[in-house]
Amino acid sequence: MTRVLVVEDDPQTADEIRCALGDHGFEVDSAANGREGLIKAVAEHYDALVIDRMLPGGLDGLGMLATLRSAGVESPVLILSALSAVEERVRGLRAGGDDYLTKPFDFIELTARLDVLLRRQSAPRRETVLRVGKLEMDLVTHTVRDGGRVIDLLPREYRLLEFLMRHPGQIVTRTMLFEEVWNYHYIEPTNVIDVHIGKLRKKIDAEGEEPMIQTIRGSGYMLRAPG
Amino acid sequence: MRLADLHRTTSFRLALLFLMLFGASSTALFGFLYWQTKNYSMHRMQDWLGSEQASFVPMDRAASTARLEAHRVADPGLERPFVLFDAEGHRLAGSQLALPDDLWSTLPTGRAFRFSIPRAGGGTLPYLGHAERLPTGEVLLIARDLRQSRDFGRLVVDSFLWAGLITALLGLGGAAYAGIDSVRRIDAVTQAIQRVVDGDFSGRLPVRGRSGDHARLVHVVNGMLGEIERLMQEVKGVCDNVAHDLRTPLTRLLAGLERTRRRAVTIDDYAAAMDEAILETKSLLATFSAMLRVSEVENGARRAGFDHVDLGQVVGDVVELYEPVAEEKGITLRLLREPRGAVMRGDPSLLFEAVVNLVDNALKFTPPGGRVTARAFARDAGIGVEVTDNGPGIPQHEREAVLRRFYRTEASRHTDGSGLGLALVAAVARLHGMTLTLTDAMPGCRVVMCTGDALPEPVREEALAEAPAR
Repeated sequence: MTRVLVVEDDPQTADEIRCALGDHGFEVDSAANGREGLIKAVAEHYDALVIDRMLPGGLDGLGMLATLRSAGVESPVLILSALSAVEERVRGLRAGGDDYLTKPFDFIELTARLDVLLRRQSAPRRETVLRVGKLEMDLVTHTVRDGGRVIDLLPREYRLLEFLMRHPGQIVTRTMLFEEVWNYHYIEPTNVIDVHIGKLRKKIDAEGEEPMIQTIRGSGYMLRAPG
Repeated sequence: MRLADLHRTTSFRLALLFLMLFGASSTALFGFLYWQTKNYSMHRMQDWLGSEQASFVPMDRAASTARLEAHRVADPGLERPFVLFDAEGHRLAGSQLALPDDLWSTLPTGRAFRFSIPRAGGGTLPYLGHAERLPTGEVLLIARDLRQSRDFGRLVVDSFLWAGLITALLGLGGAAYAGIDSVRRIDAVTQAIQRVVDGDFSGRLPVRGRSGDHARLVHVVNGMLGEIERLMQEVKGVCDNVAHDLRTPLTRLLAGLERTRRRAVTIDDYAAAMDEAILETKSLLATFSAMLRVSEVENGARRAGFDHVDLGQVVGDVVELYEPVAEEKGITLRLLREPRGAVMRGDPSLLFEAVVNLVDNALKFTPPGGRVTARAFARDAGIGVEVTDNGPGIPQHEREAVLRRFYRTEASRHTDGSGLGLALVAAVARLHGMTLTLTDAMPGCRVVMCTGDALPEPVREEALAEAPAR
């Protein structure tokens, strides 16, 4: 079972995060301040850590993270913060964080991002061909096939599909897609991504078959082999 | 400020300090001159006494007696007495000058010396004398009255004192005047500021003249007060709009929850109500985040993260992002490519967001079958981004207002959106030193965001024909 350590000082928020991650199937441990978190993270092994940026006491989230990294703990870390400015994000990632999420956030966004971090950790990007069901993407020749049918994609559609195929069976939120495929950092306010996904769907789904890209209401998408 | 505080004003103190400095330096100068003059005239007199003494040396007794007698007649007032005494101090010839006994007994010879003679009417007469003992034992005294020199000295000192007094009075008067003037100005400024502090933001500091340090300061402070007034009004506007834009969904949320509490029976009813509440809360959060973002961009801290940004790339990315949306609405979205690169220092994500807002707005307000054109341009006067549509446009009187937070035109009141889009664009433009201009595209709206005043020539129809939709 995947073990996650949550370091968050507000007990109610910590409880909510624990419930959400527990419902998602993670085993969750929590710490209320930087010192406690540091001791737990070093003493036991966790697959991922969720650390609040602002923690009471002498050791804040970034200080704790930097100490962890220098102690050789390599588990992926997601930083939670009420500070949304880009430079805060950059600072967080520079201190050794793998992802940065601004409060308030949807829990589905948190679990989706954790899934991606865990997947990245366990399966390094070495494959040259991605397969989901009948869908096959050749990363060298940049061709996509559905069974025998070659699917012709625009570059941006290709990158959208690539990201979805790297995370089959996982929820991928609009914000994650936008950050990954368009490379700009801001919360995409309109549902423009939906239209892009709609176009992509039309291209990859064969006639009369169950659609491969499923919409997760209000949050994102999931690519899954039909049946 | 009361007049009793005069001595605390800077200008008064400064004037006083200069007065003291001036007084000290002129006293020193005067003392030096006085001493030098006095010295010089003493030396002149001593030289004269010596040369007169010497002129008697070659004369025989008869000649010198004749000269002494002639001098006595010529100088009855004893201004320059020449006297010949015998060895016991009795006058033999020359001026009628009687030496007191104590002086005679200690009479120095061979050098100049000062002495004084009691005057008939009381007081003394000062003299500078030179005595020589002759080989015969007689003593020849040549002297000179020092009254003139003394009177001259007194005159000079007196006039210096008078001049000093007048200077001091004038200086004090000037210092007081300057001090009172500055007290008045500061009183006026203090009162004006107090009025502002009390809540009257339309108040300004009194301006006197256009140049001078004080006027310059007042000018700057007035500019600042103007900006504060603008911001206060904007904050008030924002608060009113926040009240409206947040209260409406909050009311809906609360009403929905209460209704569920009263009526819901099945789990499905509750689930539906929860979903509704979650959606409503999310939209509230979106409005809230948009507000925070405008503030964040406006405070300017993001300039620290500036990098080189290719505006052409940014506009291209936005057009690519929105192409499917335009297609769905039946609007032609075109990217106009220009040969000249438009690269500037900036925050790529913010510029992208700004252009997204412009294109999103254009698409929102252009009817199906319409046309939206976007381009990045570089001219000698500056670089920027232009988005033009042929929709209904923004009425003249609303063009400035749409840049404000939460403002929604009459036409847009019932569409989606927080009313913060253009305010954010304006904030991003300000952060990048760009101006945002809204003009009439006849028909439609043309929005230009650029540095300097590099408004490019309008897009020609022919150019559009050459640039097919991608």
